[in-house]
Formats: sequence, structure tokens, C-alpha cells
Amino acid sequence: MATENSKQNPKQLNMLAPDSFREKLSRRAFLQGGTALAGFALIAAACGSSSSDGGATTDTAAAGSTDGLASGDWSRVINTASGELAMYTWGDYNDPELVGALAASTLSVTMKVDYYASNEDLITKLATSGGTSGFDIVVPTGPYISQMVEKGLLQKLDKSLIPNMVNVDPLYLGQAWDTTNDYSVCKNWGTTGFFYDTTKISKELTTWQDFIDTCMGEASGQCSVIDAAPNYCGMYFWANGIDWNTEDAASIDAAEKFLVDEFAQHIKAFDSYPSTKLAEGAYSIAMAWNGDARQAYVRIADAGGTPENWKWVLGAPDTELWMDNYCIPVGAPNPEAAHAWINWDLIPEISIRDLQYHGYHTGMKNMSTLIGEIAPDLEKGDMIFFGDDQVKTMHTQVITPALDRLIDILNKSKAKAGG
Amino acid sequence: MTETVATRLRKRFHGPKYLLALPAIIWYLLFFALPIAFIVFYSFGTKDSTKLLPVDFSHLSTHSYSAVFDETFFKTFRGTLRIAVIATTLCVLIGLPVAYFAAFKVPEKWKAIILAAVVVPSFTSFLIRTVAWRIPLAPNGTFSKWLIGMGWIGQNGIQILETPLAVQIAIVYNYLGFMILPLFVALDRIDVRMREASKDLGAGRVATFFGVTLPLAGPGIVAGVLLTFIPMCGDYVTATVLGGAKGNMIGAMIASQFSGAQNWPLGSAMAILMIAAVLLSLGVGFIAMKIVPLVSSLASPAVQNLRRKMHARALEQAKHVKPSTRTKIEVLPKVLGVWTVLVLVFLFIPILLVFLHSFNNGGSFTIWSGKSSTKWWGELFNGSEMLGVLVRFAALLVIGVVIKRLLKGRDNVPKFVSSWIVVVSFVLALILNGFMTEWYRTIFDFTGIGDAIRNSFIAAFGATVIAVIIGGMSGVALARRPGRWTTFFMATVFLILVTPEIMDAVALATWFPRIKEIPLVGIIFTSGWGPFNGGINKLWVGQSLYASAVVTLIVRARLAGIDESLEEAAGDLGAPPGRAFRQITLPLIASAMVAGGLLSFALCLDNAVISTLISEAGSTTFPVALLGATRSTIKPFWGVGAALLFIVTLSALWFLAVILRRGGDSASKIAATFTGGS
Repeated sequence: MATENSKQNPKQLNMLAPDSFREKLSRRAFLQGGTALAGFALIAAACGSSSSDGGATTDTAAAGSTDGLASGDWSRVINTASGELAMYTWGDYNDPELVGALAASTLSVTMKVDYYASNEDLITKLATSGGTSGFDIVVPTGPYISQMVEKGLLQKLDKSLIPNMVNVDPLYLGQAWDTTNDYSVCKNWGTTGFFYDTTKISKELTTWQDFIDTCMGEASGQCSVIDAAPNYCGMYFWANGIDWNTEDAASIDAAEKFLVDEFAQHIKAFDSYPSTKLAEGAYSIAMAWNGDARQAYVRIADAGGTPENWKWVLGAPDTELWMDNYCIPVGAPNPEAAHAWINWDLIPEISIRDLQYHGYHTGMKNMSTLIGEIAPDLEKGDMIFFGDDQVKTMHTQVITPALDRLIDILNKSKAKAGG
Repeated sequence: MTETVATRLRKRFHGPKYLLALPAIIWYLLFFALPIAFIVFYSFGTKDSTKLLPVDFSHLSTHSYSAVFDETFFKTFRGTLRIAVIATTLCVLIGLPVAYFAAFKVPEKWKAIILAAVVVPSFTSFLIRTVAWRIPLAPNGTFSKWLIGMGWIGQNGIQILETPLAVQIAIVYNYLGFMILPLFVALDRIDVRMREASKDLGAGRVATFFGVTLPLAGPGIVAGVLLTFIPMCGDYVTATVLGGAKGNMIGAMIASQFSGAQNWPLGSAMAILMIAAVLLSLGVGFIAMKIVPLVSSLASPAVQNLRRKMHARALEQAKHVKPSTRTKIEVLPKVLGVWTVLVLVFLFIPILLVFLHSFNNGGSFTIWSGKSSTKWWGELFNGSEMLGVLVRFAALLVIGVVIKRLLKGRDNVPKFVSSWIVVVSFVLALILNGFMTEWYRTIFDFTGIGDAIRNSFIAAFGATVIAVIIGGMSGVALARRPGRWTTFFMATVFLILVTPEIMDAVALATWFPRIKEIPLVGIIFTSGWGPFNGGINKLWVGQSLYASAVVTLIVRARLAGIDESLEEAAGDLGAPPGRAFRQITLPLIASAMVAGGLLSFALCLDNAVISTLISEAGSTTFPVALLGATRSTIKPFWGVGAALLFIVTLSALWFLAVILRRGGDSASKIAATFTGGS
């Protein structure tokens, strides 16, 4: 990321990956699933993690400095726990190895992962179960956190159990919804844009207005939009130069009139994860989050298509910046394991591994250095990391009373889009 | 009839007429009536997303109801009813020839085979079968490319996915089996002599079919329509997976009100109006069914006249034509046979695709990468653990067989010991392997799949046991002790069948936290006991509702056809009610309970909507996990999991069939009571 390029300290690069370490740990091998275990074992050993008794033992990375490993700036504390750890998260949001075998062997916890489709789904689940949902970790999007805290759904984090939080770039801490990170810590962040087939859509598209025009014209009945009210309505607001957090009734009325009466009939599907269906050939243009659009390239190649024909466009002139966060719900049966896992996922190597899987910026500090060291072959980095000028156009969502109106607009659009 | 001492004695033992239905009444009151009453109450509130449960009751209004009649939402209602009516009609049209062929044109042995082939597909996960339809319908898929290559369709490929047509195809597919079975049962019961008499009296094939066969099959068609039309109207999965924006259905829309839109009042109002719409269209259907015979009987003199003329003409022709025409008539069974084969192929296409795609080399279940590999099977299983389990299984079975051999020649060993020894060793192997070594957990390398499959079985099994017990008892009470209570009870059962699952789901999900306050029941459901901690007991409740309603209907239908005189005779001969029940009634309803149990088990195993909302982290079942996975990319190992679940279920069924055959029940008898008919 460009913001970090400017801050980057060349000395750190050496500290991060001394030759001895690099020799031991072939980077590529580390990144490829098969030998990842071996790779990780090395790190674990280097960090001096030898606890096998399953207690809440804490091994610090102090040992690291003695054998010349990167230390100082990076904290690699591994706390172990025991028992089961249940995570409720978004679809395909962690490297399966990490939430499977590696968590079992490193943290001594057995993981279960379930998925939800929207923040509202998550809130409904937690609210209706009255603290008996049995989940230990949930991953809500930032702005929803204050609401969830108010409703008494989240418990405070014990920050002493998450020492690796120092690895997170301060830029991604202390957000508006949780200024002191009492309840949440950044898992990763991303943005919204669209993805289209250049063989089916002749025009060069660059803005949200282009997206809307194409959906209503050339690609009518062949387009999908994200199934979340703020994004769906945001598309209209961004295209028309309106703040997507607007509470202005006139703007929202105009959005409703346009989206429900004129736009909805052209939509083929409300689909938050279009990558697989893009590969099946179901849509020729789709609104998508950057990580999912990046996955679409892989899927399209898988299906025997030509990924080169597809183009990703970051929403313009403005677009979203969302951040999903690790939180622990009230009534979590195993908070100790939850803390241990969150802390573990903030170790740079683990974090980058997740990043390579889902394709979202994980908020680690000095990201470009980390990528250069750990994952130099990362493809389509421009879909994960954005320059200063791009980040400037991204805006975080604020939950306002107007959200109900936006949800209503999506709801009506869905009804209207029906055949 | 004069009162004997025995009858007087019997009367003294009698409690209230609904005594046997009491467990069901309590169950439905606790887990259906009360929770649903809350949801109905919600429909008069207003949305308030700042509340923990997002409904405000400070000013009650019918605003949500008027909102449903708004053109935008009402369109979806019409669309759903259209899809359901067309699909039900198609199911009758496609299913009737198959049922007719199986009932009249094939020997006994083939009947069972055809029926099994119709039933077996419904034992693969409903969800994965629906997802599998994306494979042949994908515009970039192999089939589509082939069609383009042949020049039969345009360069854009098949444009069916994300349209109402895709939903229509899959919904016919998903419910066809539930139509064929009752049709078959009804047709199979028709006395062949009636059809022969009709023909002897000069009626042609067509006249016999419409004049004799079809009216007699009426109850079967009614049962089939009820079993397909009602669940179709509330279907959530098919539209969500295949429908896109254009093929949206009410079920999915109601669900999105409760979760996504957080608008519970609107969701409740929609659900209530949907129930009304379903009842209304069923009413219209039944009135139409009453009117059609009326009209036809009014028109009958003219029709009779016409028939007589046609018959005379046919006779005239027959005189001139050589007997060679006999061979021409034999074409019909062949056409029916070909049709049946085509329908069976249709039923098995998605299942074959599930198996095929579990060997996909690529990273997505629905997209064939062009190469096959066993990597997802390898990824899912831990080879050495698996081998260990299989070896332990085989060893125990071999021991069982060996002991059986050794015992065979001896007279001093009771017969049942040798005949059950293999079954017992199988169960022993299952228990030793399962509960002691937790193989279901360790043979899977991948997080959660083994647990999900195990949870599915425990949940479905428990719910089925509950459903068979309370449903069986109330079925007996309904048939044998009718009274004023019958009306209320049947209305409740019917409501349970008609209520969309998502409404039950939300009602139960919000009910369980409240239940803590109820003494005794609260303890059971909050403390969690034994190995069934972590929400499995909630799944038993949730899944047992629909299943027990189905069992109730089947058992009632079974007993309604049998005279009560047998039980009375037993009573007159001095048998106390308990004994009469055990020795007379129970054997009579046993096959109906087995059939109901099987159907319940299949339904519970597939339950996704209720289970998703009420399951906890520890009780995620296979459909719940898969529904979660459909939110993003479905990896091919889900195909592996589904294939495995299919194999395990089929072996469990086979095992059951073996036990039943030992119990002396014929396979066709079980099939006959499978849907109860009437």
C-alpha cells in the first residue's frame, strides 16, 4: 500500500527476514498448502512455543531475537487453549488450514466454522438465542458494532490476552465504532467495485454511473448487485455525488424512486458473492467486493474461461471502505480459546496467509514490507492494496436512522425485480 | 348391543377421549401454538431495529398487512402461487403415467424397484440436489457448450439460471417423488376387476381411465397435491439457490424480512397472508373438484350417447379389421415404460452430477475443471483412521458371521439368537467404533463435516422418535376416539403443515430463550444433558413438528380404513385396554408408523431452514453447514459429504429393511403405507 511505502523503513526489511531464516523456510513452500505445516512448525519452534499441556501458557517471542529472527517490531506470541472454538463468520473468510489442522496443532483447539450472509443475519442469530448461540468469535462489520454493544451482544476483549495487537497498523485501530478497541480488533478491510466481461460489454467502464448505465442498457438482465442495503443504495449515492451516509429525506426519496422504479427491473440477481456464478457465466457484470472479484479470476480460469477478458473497476468517484472485526459475543463458551485464536491470527505470517486466501488487506503495519518478504508472488495485488489517492475516495459506513429506509429500498427493489 | 361387564370395565378405564393425543397436544401448545402466537402478535407491531428483538408494540396497527397488498410485494405472491400451481399440475401430469405404469403394467417385483428408484433420490441432501441443477444449466457449462457446438442455441449459452424457469424445473424435480408415491398407492388399491368390468361392458381404454381409474385415484391425487403444493408455496431453498432476482418466491422473501431486513412485523404479516393464500387456493381446488363431477354428471346423458355411438362405430370397425390390430394396442405399455425410464433418469441426473463433481479437480463444486481427481475425497478423509475404522467394522462383522455358523447346527440355542447375531454385531461395531473412538470426528480431516453428519443423524433420529411416538398416539386417538376435540386438533395439524418453515423457525428461535422461565421444561432445554448438549435437543423440537403432523395423518389414514371391531372383540374377551392396544392396535399401525418414521427421517435429515435459526455452534447439521457454504463458494468436498451422507442413509435404510423383513413385513406393504393414501 502506498501509504506504507512512504513510511517504509529499509532497515526493517533485513530484520524481518534474515538469510538464515529464509534458507530454513522456503517462502514458496510456506505459502503452498501442502508444506505449510512444516513451515509453520518452524515459526512455532523459532518462537519458542512448546506448550503441549493445553493450559493458558504464554510463550513470548523473546527467543526469536536470540537466533537472529525478526523481532522488535513484530510480536509473535502464541497462547494456547483447549476445547472447542466456534466461529461464526462470512463465507470463505479464512484459510481452511488455519481454521482446521493448524489451529488444532498450534493452539490445541478444535474449530467449528459456520457462515452467515449479512450483519443482520448475525444480529438476528445472536439476539434470538439470548446468549446461548454457542459461538466464541463473530466477525461483524465495523458500524454494526456499536449497535451490537448497545444490545448487549458483545463482551469486552481482554487485551492482555491479545498482545499481538501491536502488529496492527494504528490506522486501522480506534475506529469510530469502537474508539478504544474494547470490543473489536480489525480482521481485514476491503472496498466495493464492479467486475465485467469485456467481450460482452463493449464500453470502457470507470464509474458507478457507467455501471448503472450498463446494467440498464447493454447488460440489462445480466447484472448482479451486492445483497446489502448500504452497498446497493450506495451505488446510486456515489454515482450522484451524494454522501452514502446521508440522512437527507429528499436524497433518499430520489434514490428510492430511481432504484425501485427504474433500476430494479434490470437486475438478474442480488448476490453478495458473485465470483462462482460469474465463472458459470450467469452474469456479464457484477457489483462485488474486491476480494471476491479477485477470486473470480481463479474461478473463471477453473471453468475454462479467459480471465484476461474480465476487468475489475474500483467504484468511482467514491466508494466504500468496510472493515470486518473479530469480536467475542456475550455467552461465548470458550472465551479463552477465542482470545488465543484472535491473537494468533494477528501474527504477520498467519495474517498474510489469510490475506492470500481471501484477498483482503488484513491491516498489518508495514504491509508492503511483509508482502515483499512473505508473499512476493502475490497476484493481483492492485485488487488488495490501494494507493493514497484511491483510499481517499473510500468512506466508512455510519449507522444512522436512515438505514431502515435503505433496507426498505433494497426490500422493495427485490420485490420489484421479481419476474 | 347390550353392555357386557367387559365394556363397562373398559369404559371405567377410559379417561378423556383425547387422552392418547395429550402428549401431542402439550407438545404443539408449547412449541407451536404459543411461539406462533407471539409471531402473530408481532405482525401488529412496528419495526424498531434499536430493540434486541426489533419490534415495537407501543402502537399496534395493521399497517404491515396493508403493506403486503402493496403492488410490489403482492407480485411475488402471485408469482409464487403461479410457480406452485404449474409445478403441482406438472407433477400430476408427469407422475401419473409413472404411477399408472408401476401399478398396472409391471409384475410385483418391478413395482418395488420402481418405487425404490422414485424414493431413493429424496435421501440425498435436498440442498445439494438443488445446487447440482446449476451444473447442467450453467451458460458456460459443458452441456451448454455442447448445445452451442451443435448450433441449437445461441452463443450466450443456456439462459435459464436466475429465472423463474430454473425454479420451475427444480421445484418439479424436488417434489415429483412426493406426488408419484401417493398416486401409486391410490392406483395400486384399485381392484383390477373394476377396470376389467368396465372394459367388458364395452368402454374403451380412454373411457375406462377417465370413468373408472381416475375417480378411484382421486384420494391419491388429493394426498399428492397436499404433499407437494403446500411445501412448494413455502419453499425457500430452491428459489434462493436458483431463482436470482426474477425467480424470487414468498418463502425466500419472508425469510429476508426476518433476517436481512429485520422487519418482523412485515415478515409475520406476509407469512400469515401466505397461509391464508394457500388455504384459499386449496379451497378453490376442492370446490373445483366438487364442481367438475357435478358438471360431468349433468352432461352425462349426452356423453353416454356419444360414447355409445363411438362404441358402435368401433365395433363396426372391429368387424372389418383383422386381429393384427392387437399388436398396435400393445404400444401403450411401451410408451409408458419409456416415459417411466425418462422420469427416473430425470430424478437421478442431479445425484449422478453430485457424485461426478465430488471428483472435480477444481476449487468449486458447480464448475467442472475438466480434470477429475480424488483430492477432495483425500482432503476430507484421514486415510489411516478410515482404514482402522473399516478394519474394526469388518472384524466385528466377521466374528458375528462366524458365531452364526458355529451356532447353526446346534439345537440348544434359541433360533432368534442365530438369526439376530449378525445384526447385533453390526450394532456393536457401530457403537464400539462410534462412541468409543469418535471415528466420525477423526476420519475427517476437514473441520466440522464429520460433526455435521453426525449431528444430522442424531437430530433426525431424535426428532423421528418423538414424531412417531406423539404422532402415532394422536393418530390412534383421532381414528378411535373422535369427538369435538378432533376438529381443533386436525386444524392444528393442518396449520403445522401449512405454516412456512421460516415462521416456525423465528417463532422457536425467540421462544427458546423464554422457555427458561417455565419450570421443568426449562431445565431440560437450558442445562443440556448427556451427550446431547449444545442445542441438539432444540433441533429435536424444531424438526419434530412437521414430522409428527405427517405421522399423525398417515397413522390416522391407516386406522380409518380398518374396522374397530377387532379391538372391541379383544375388549369383550376381557383384555384390558393396554393389552388390547399392544396386541391388536399396535400391530395394525406398525407399518404406518414405520412408513411415517421413514418419511420423517428423510424430512428431518434435510431440514435446513428451522435448523439454521435454532441450531447452536455445537449442533450444526449438514444442511445448515451447506446452506452457510452456499453463501459463498461451494467447494467440491460438499459433494463428497453429500455422497457420503447418501451412502450412509441408504445403508441405514437397507439395515432397517432387513430388520423389518425379519419382522415379517413385506416391502410392498411398507411402500403402500408410505404416504398413507386414504
